[in-house]
Amino acid sequence: MNEVIDLLSYPFVYRALIAGSLISVCASVLGVILVLKHYSLIGHGLSEIGFASLSLSSALKIPAMYVAAPSVFIASFVIMFVSRKYKTAGDIAIAAASSSALAAGIAVSSLTGTASNMSSYLFGSVLAVTENDLLLSVILSFIVISVFIVLYNRLFLITYNEDYARSLGINTAFYQLIISVLTAMIVVAGMKLTGTLLISGVIILPAVTAKIIASGFRSLVIMSGIISFIAFVFGLIASFIFNIPAGAGVILMNTMILIIARVVRLKK
Amino acid sequence: MTERLRLSNAVIKYGDVTAVNGVSMTANEGEMIFITGSNGSGKSTLIKAIAGLLPLSSGSLERTGKMSYVPQYEDADRDFPARAFEIVITGTQRHGKLFYTHDDTERALTAMKELGIYDLADKEIRTLSGGQLRRVFLARAICGNPELLLLDEPCAGLDAQSHEVLFNVIRNILSGGCAVVMVTHDISDIDGISEGRIIKISGGRISIQ
Repeated sequence: MNEVIDLLSYPFVYRALIAGSLISVCASVLGVILVLKHYSLIGHGLSEIGFASLSLSSALKIPAMYVAAPSVFIASFVIMFVSRKYKTAGDIAIAAASSSALAAGIAVSSLTGTASNMSSYLFGSVLAVTENDLLLSVILSFIVISVFIVLYNRLFLITYNEDYARSLGINTAFYQLIISVLTAMIVVAGMKLTGTLLISGVIILPAVTAKIIASGFRSLVIMSGIISFIAFVFGLIASFIFNIPAGAGVILMNTMILIIARVVRLKK
Repeated sequence: MTERLRLSNAVIKYGDVTAVNGVSMTANEGEMIFITGSNGSGKSTLIKAIAGLLPLSSGSLERTGKMSYVPQYEDADRDFPARAFEIVITGTQRHGKLFYTHDDTERALTAMKELGIYDLADKEIRTLSGGQLRRVFLARAICGNPELLLLDEPCAGLDAQSHEVLFNVIRNILSGGCAVVMVTHDISDIDGISEGRIIKISGGRISIQ
């Protein structure tokens, strides 16, 4: 216990704790929509595209976010567009784009001799969270939560039945675009902390767990946020105690909560 | 009498396949129209196009007033974590309107009362029977005060009591001036219903009107 309290005296730990908690809660709230709309893989696809762009920026020696942010944004629009246009092709688009991007990222980092930097991008690092990242996560969380509150009724309608929403004269493509933008923002902001391989788990696992416990959509959104926060805090602490990457600690904590929720639900 | 719907020479294609071929129809306020036909005749494609969910390959579609659409029950995600009331009140949403008012809540609850599902307001939809969920969808459609109501196979699988409730509600909104267009594959669904005009679709064309 004392070790945990001592850890909090390090600035990089509280930066990681605050930035990570905010990003995790926002990711899990968006995750509710992505899981219910069967877009669970989108976070995975985007993060591997993020990895490729981080490799490229490292090779070109330019700031990572200048390449990663636009790449992930463009990829999210393309994936959402393909998913809407060809209803069954969304998972194919994600699988094809993500594996190609991962391969390209590995190839670039091997060819340019920057492969050693890639470990922190793949698995995340709490040391990588700077004051600027903390500020970015606060701003981002404010945007995501505000958009979610203002558009809550609309997002519920579109998530439940997009065709019905269209029949009411609502421009569903616009809201789809908003979901894409927010997801891309969360993926870019979360990549450093949890790693590109694991950010998709932060997005979907709390929503999957909450779906087991919650009753009604509002309760699902709130539960997803709470579960994500708890999993992040305890996952981060566990990662320090067991000396494992933060992303792995957080995802394993989420997985444990999911298993417990499922077992408890089955026993009822 | 105000015309709520005018469809002229509508052609709808899926790639090379023509599902609807030159259909024209109108619906006036207070008028009930049944579209019947066998499976694959093009009737569901037609009502989806009227609802604005499918583009016309050629022809024209004009609608006036607020429209509500009740999709086929099979399209529903039964496992979605939502309460019945949360679904019903979405019927009051419109383009440019993001928040519900007190009036919207009242209209949603009134529609649920009319359809005999008021007690189910807080129930999760995954716990409802097929008949109850169909009534939820109908309540969602009527609480938006539609002037044109489109129903895709609303009677499929309904028990006698729910069937009677459905037609009582429809008669009520017809008398309020709403035009109703209903697709049904089973003509016996409308046995004993005296009001309304029947359009039979066969091979994407109107065969009997």
